[in-house]
Amino acid sequence: MMTPMFLWEQVLNGLIAGSMYALMATGLSLIWGTMRVLNFAHGEFFMLGAFFALTAFELLELPLAPAIAVALLGVFLAAVLVHRVTVAPLMRQRGWDFSTIAATLGVSIVLQDIALMTWGERFQSLPYFVEGIVHVAGVRLPAQRVLILLAVIIVVAGLVTLLRFTRFGMAIRAVASDPEAASACGINTPAIHAATFGIAAMLAALAGIILAPIIAINPWMGVPPILKAFVVVVLGGLGSLPGAVIGGYLLGIIEALGVAAFSSEWREAVALTVLIIVIWLRPQGLFGQRIREA
Amino acid sequence: MLRLENVSVFYGAFQVLWDVSLDVPEGTTACVLGPNGAGKSTVLKAMAGLVPVRGRVLYRGQDISRLPAARRVGLGMSLILERRRLFTGMTARENLLLGGYLLPRVRRDERLREVVSLVPGVDALLGKRAGDLSGGQQQLIAIARGLMAEPSLLLLDEPFLGLSPKAVNEVEAIIMSLGRAGMTIVFNEQNVRKSLAMSDRAVLLEGGRLIAAGPSAEIGAGDIVQRVYFGTHVAQGGAA
Repeated sequence: MMTPMFLWEQVLNGLIAGSMYALMATGLSLIWGTMRVLNFAHGEFFMLGAFFALTAFELLELPLAPAIAVALLGVFLAAVLVHRVTVAPLMRQRGWDFSTIAATLGVSIVLQDIALMTWGERFQSLPYFVEGIVHVAGVRLPAQRVLILLAVIIVVAGLVTLLRFTRFGMAIRAVASDPEAASACGINTPAIHAATFGIAAMLAALAGIILAPIIAINPWMGVPPILKAFVVVVLGGLGSLPGAVIGGYLLGIIEALGVAAFSSEWREAVALTVLIIVIWLRPQGLFGQRIREA
Repeated sequence: MLRLENVSVFYGAFQVLWDVSLDVPEGTTACVLGPNGAGKSTVLKAMAGLVPVRGRVLYRGQDISRLPAARRVGLGMSLILERRRLFTGMTARENLLLGGYLLPRVRRDERLREVVSLVPGVDALLGKRAGDLSGGQQQLIAIARGLMAEPSLLLLDEPFLGLSPKAVNEVEAIIMSLGRAGMTIVFNEQNVRKSLAMSDRAVLLEGGRLIAAGPSAEIGAGDIVQRVYFGTHVAQGGAA
């Protein structure tokens, strides 16, 4: 029986799942918007974030907050290294669009194998960051899930502030708009690309870390989120940050309502049907700009 | 001030500049002439570091051939690209602040005020979105953005392209006043008569090769320009 309260509960569940999609898609969208690269290794930074936090927490016995900080820093450095070694050299060549897709797919497999050799294939998890139940407008939710929702809202607000109001953020937007003109202004475009790649990877890592208490940490955990993130960036519009955030929440809510209306087996089918309808009606996505032929 | 020594440029397998050597003395205004495909824009990009070169680019005696474009801005070189190339989603003010990206914050704010007084009409445009401005207004902002870096050498790629006659006159007046103030300027432009009148020195290219260089009055007095533009001059070797 679909009561209003039941629907509201599903919407809240959808918002929580959508938070993760939004965080993943924001990173992908940032990379696409700044350097026109589709990063197929993005899901592996989600996975590395969880493993790095687990290692810092259990092996190095750091308290949770420093462990998370160390994990995020580690992923940032790993991503900058990946960018320097694979993406940047390819971008210096002509006609590099496909080669970066192939390269990041390769990086994805290499990172999965490194994780498998380092941490093994057994499923692990982090402890809950917060315990207890929170009441949100009449719905009982585990505090960990509410924390996910709040953390993502804070991170996205921080990212928007960084992009809109700081010198570094303006440089990122300039490089996204016209890399050659940005270079002519004195902006070190390759350094901005590397930093953006690192920041985007940190967003994915953060998603992996705050989900780690409620999902199993394993070398392949990044594969489902990257697929969802690609759906979101297409739904929201490639390269559009508002599109990635709103698209993420929309996908989460649509999935949750689809599960409520049909069953959990229909989760992906409902979401992808909506995606196909959006692409059919608006090929550039909800917030993307139509590409004009010259 | 700026010297190119045997500079060649390749776009992939295609060579577009062939052993170009030229000098731009300090305080002069130089124009780069040539028909479409002569390599005028490529010469400016080679100077600014936006294309890799073979040969040497010397700025105040320093070899900057391998220096990236961003570092050259720090040395005092500023390129205003063809078709303005503003960051169209940002305001004119944000575009100008990005032009002064390498300046310390306090100096950048001071420089913004200086540039606004140097380029008439910019003040009223600062709050507007760059993409909403007319071509002439965009060119004013592009010049102002280029000046934000406090350049000693200003490079302008087709500064009059697509502008109304009124806007052409405004932009011309600004370039001339910067030249009179002692700034070294290199520009390229399709209008030969205007270019020669605005400049002290001229460089003539054809098919990516240097055909002639010298004082504008001398270049204009001979028939070499007509021969190159009307296709009766025979360049040595082929070109892309």
